[in-house]
Amino acid sequence: MRDYLARFKKVLASLERWIMEPVDPRPLGLFRLWFGFLCLVNLALLWPDMPMWFGNDGVLPPEVHQRMTSGFRISFYTFTGYSDHAIVMMRLFGFLGGLGLLTGIFPRTSAFLTWMTASSIAWRNADILNSGDNLIRIGSFFLIFARSGESFNLVNLVQAWRGRPNSPYRTKIPAWPQRILQLQLCIVYFVAGVWKAKGDPWLDGSAVGTVLQLGEFQRFPIPDFVMTPFGSSVLTFFTLGFELAFPFLVWVPRLRVPVLVMGLSLHAGLEWMMNVQLFQWVITSYYLLFLRFKKNQFDKESIKTDA
Amino acid sequence: MRSGLNYISFCKRRWPVFVLIGYTVAALSWSMPSGSMPGKRGVDAAVAPLMIGLNLWQSWDMFAPNPRSEDIWVGISYETLEGPSGEVPVTKMIEMSYFQRWQRERWRKYFNDHLRTDVESLLWRPYAEYLRNEIQAEGYKPSKIELTRWWRTTEKPVRSDLRADVRKTPWNSYTFYRWHVENPRGDTRQ
Repeated sequence: MRDYLARFKKVLASLERWIMEPVDPRPLGLFRLWFGFLCLVNLALLWPDMPMWFGNDGVLPPEVHQRMTSGFRISFYTFTGYSDHAIVMMRLFGFLGGLGLLTGIFPRTSAFLTWMTASSIAWRNADILNSGDNLIRIGSFFLIFARSGESFNLVNLVQAWRGRPNSPYRTKIPAWPQRILQLQLCIVYFVAGVWKAKGDPWLDGSAVGTVLQLGEFQRFPIPDFVMTPFGSSVLTFFTLGFELAFPFLVWVPRLRVPVLVMGLSLHAGLEWMMNVQLFQWVITSYYLLFLRFKKNQFDKESIKTDA
Repeated sequence: MRSGLNYISFCKRRWPVFVLIGYTVAALSWSMPSGSMPGKRGVDAAVAPLMIGLNLWQSWDMFAPNPRSEDIWVGISYETLEGPSGEVPVTKMIEMSYFQRWQRERWRKYFNDHLRTDVESLLWRPYAEYLRNEIQAEGYKPSKIELTRWWRTTEKPVRSDLRADVRKTPWNSYTFYRWHVENPRGDTRQ
């Protein structure tokens, strides 16, 4: 009994260390940079249609929206009410937020602005959201609490360019926001796998073959060998197996690189065949959180996964 | 008293651990299918104000449990008092350029997943009114607006000639909303 208790305490202590011990700021910095860029692209894609989706004279006028929503949610609309000024705020603060994340200037404020923008979009018209929007909203929320601006920021870049690098990577940062985002990715895959495992088409191998017949999702031409029962089965079982296994295998140091490479291959294939806007890009941006930078010099570094 | 203070100090030092564990349980429970996790109902009820209020709600049921078995698009047609009329395949993505179908993915989501369905019929009239305003902005007076859903069923086993851009199967259609604009109260559900 004492033995078990001692083991349990040991596990708890390692968990605590994993969450509490400061970490290299570069994986989170790189994630912030790429995530910020994707937020800007997302905003640009949405920009021309914003009055239609969110305006009082758009497809979802306030009297209809009120019937579809309930409960309190923080967003720009909390302050503006049903006003088209909120669209101006989404555009302005969404742009500033994305730019701030991209450059690492005022990263926490930028994350807050990005989160407010994403939250406003989600509140005003949830019918246009895809899973990429969920990841942007959640990712920006936890970046508010992260010291993500310690590396890969514009100031460091300019100083390095002037030949005066300021050793930006020696400062370690709290790990917990990065850990939450890593776990969030695992939750995404695991839950998606569990949902799929409840459907017969995912168990008999026909799911991908069915999805690929849907012209509404089709993007670039799908190779003929994929459009066969065998091709469909292989891709269906690979998708299901990968989603269920990722949350466990990605933590095994030896398997991390192969798992991440497999994930990139899966999402690259989906990006080629299917049109889900930025989802594949946003979900793979979370992969950056699992990287480990070997050396301290910006220009000489090689990337290794965290052991 | 002292042990109480120690406990508070213990918790204060470890708040990130509690946040991380709490959020992981909350997010997992929130997004899992019902019946897949013990205590899900209780956990969801407890965390709902935070998950919704802070916009951390989430769902990850893409193409699951069953992917849609019908290929779909939504089209509109309109007539104007001046004569010009038109038909627009709003979400016939396969006929759009690569960039347009990428940029308009949210249109697909809105029209195919929501506006098309009978359970979200409250979206029909606002969209028709939006369309009326758009047509009026071009200088015409619309007299009739129709919303039509088009579909064809997927087949098993999959073959290369079932790919959407080469498939020959005819589309089924149904006009689910018709609005006679000159009589604002004259909208009819089909």
